[in-house]
Amino acid sequence: MSWRAVAEKDFRDAIRSRWLWALSGLFVLLFSTPGILRFYFGVGDVEGQEAEAAGGIVVLFIHMMKEMTALLVPIIAIVIAYAALTRERETGTMKLLLSLPHDRYEVVFGKLLGRSAVIAIPILVGFAVCGLFLLPAATGFAVGRYVGFAVLTALLGVVFVGISVGISAAANSQRQAMVGTVGTYVGFLAVWNPLTGELAEQSVDLVGSSERSRYLIELFLTLLNPMEAYKTLADSLVFESALQARQAAFGFFLFPDPAAIEALGDDLPIVFTDPFVVVYLLLWLVVPITIGMYVFERRDL
Amino acid sequence: MAAIELNGVEKSFGDVRALRGVDLTVEEGEVFGFLGPNGAGKSTTINVLLDFVRADSGTARVLGRDAHHDSVAVRERTGVLPEGFGVYSRLSAREHVEFAIDSKETDQNPEQLLERVGLGDAVDRNAGGFSTGMKQRLALAMALVGDPELLVLDEPSSGLDPNGARELREIVREEADDGTTVFFSSHILGQVEAVCDRVGIIRDGELVAVDSIDGLRDTVGSGSTLVVEVESLPDDAVDAVIALEGVDGVTADGNTLRVSCSDDAKTAVIGALEDGGAAVADFETKESSLEELFAAYTEER
Repeated sequence: MSWRAVAEKDFRDAIRSRWLWALSGLFVLLFSTPGILRFYFGVGDVEGQEAEAAGGIVVLFIHMMKEMTALLVPIIAIVIAYAALTRERETGTMKLLLSLPHDRYEVVFGKLLGRSAVIAIPILVGFAVCGLFLLPAATGFAVGRYVGFAVLTALLGVVFVGISVGISAAANSQRQAMVGTVGTYVGFLAVWNPLTGELAEQSVDLVGSSERSRYLIELFLTLLNPMEAYKTLADSLVFESALQARQAAFGFFLFPDPAAIEALGDDLPIVFTDPFVVVYLLLWLVVPITIGMYVFERRDL
Repeated sequence: MAAIELNGVEKSFGDVRALRGVDLTVEEGEVFGFLGPNGAGKSTTINVLLDFVRADSGTARVLGRDAHHDSVAVRERTGVLPEGFGVYSRLSAREHVEFAIDSKETDQNPEQLLERVGLGDAVDRNAGGFSTGMKQRLALAMALVGDPELLVLDEPSSGLDPNGARELREIVREEADDGTTVFFSSHILGQVEAVCDRVGIIRDGELVAVDSIDGLRDTVGSGSTLVVEVESLPDDAVDAVIALEGVDGVTADGNTLRVSCSDDAKTAVIGALEDGGAAVADFETKESSLEELFAAYTEER
């Protein structure tokens, strides 16, 4: 239970920095603004009926929010967690920490928990406060979907905390941890998708994939990107079926690529269902932390 | 059972051979002073004991357990004041000690521990504003948590004023009277001679001496230096002194002669000088200081 002492200490230390409070404020502001603009001031209003048909105000909210949360939550998680272990090594507090009977695995795990709380709590607080704003304007307040989206967003934060803590554990210096985490973010944001498109394209030339295979390969590789996995899972909360959500991964905003819809057909293999996408997302939580633990366990302080 | 047992421990950092085969046994209940100039390998040795760094070869056992494989078990029963550590600047002194108490799963009163190290009036202050001496005291309080069987103190006096150093020695004595083994490193001999049963001297990664202070004195040479003022100094007289039994060395500087010799040989030295035609005007005996002793071991000979 040594990780518990580490997690508690870490969280206690982190909240003193006022980060938690500033972040909670930021998330409340962020989540509430589109809701308030849309529902109280009628910005970008659509007919009420259309909204209700799609599951009400929550669906619109998720649609509006997910692009922004997919960008913001990961970078904030990185800021919170990239220094989790490197900072302790550079300020010498790691010596104080490891003078006590803590296993190095438990130190990394405790850090993961502590920093996860620092991102997840403000996200959940932000959603709770925003929910209070939305309720009065609700024509069809789908609580289940709303809570689902809140939990999913918190999970995205935790996944990026995991990636960052893993990199921090493996890095030799604060600088390396920063370059590693920010590089990973930019990779997911700007490099991954063009690359997967290119790879799928190449598969056609190299092994003569069919048009359907080409799209399936591209979809599969896209879903391995945690930011894309998050967005498509959010779409699953919006759309009637996982298929529609996956189709939305192609194309722009609300307008899917007709060629993709055509090629994907009506029935997707099981590896594209929601539970599998959740697993892909969770892999990003487990794998970097495991590698980070492995490297950290074997190094000299 | 020995509290600390090192056998042929070697450790290199890149091209630097920090430890070149260290063999050392510290018995249970002993207060052991670990001496050496900065950079001689003191901290590396301690870091191997605590599993902060891993030896390239050789074995290290602490309290009967392997220092690497059973490190958590070792640290459960050991209190450590590390060298070059940092404190959590946003946590109070009390929270630091509470963290140590949680980590060691004991049930102690943080205030009493802080009182004991002289931080009774700073219990709820943030450690970020502490002076080096106060940080040192705080880490000592954390080291005392759980009534450890072994105390490892790496350069504990650094940053302490003379009063603080005296209080530290008192605590070391109290713990030793309780049966605690104390392993105490320093680059200043004066800090260890008053409290230590035995000392070990390390130089360039090798132990060059392990003995009691008295034992070291005997090893270095005779106990004293005879300083003789003569009115004239014929060469024959010097040769006659050198030839005497119990005389280790003679240096002449003008009419002053410094003879290092055993206590028994003093009368013979004066006699030989008189016989050789050097009229003795005055003489005095100086006990060789421990600082000279230490220098004799740590400087290149």
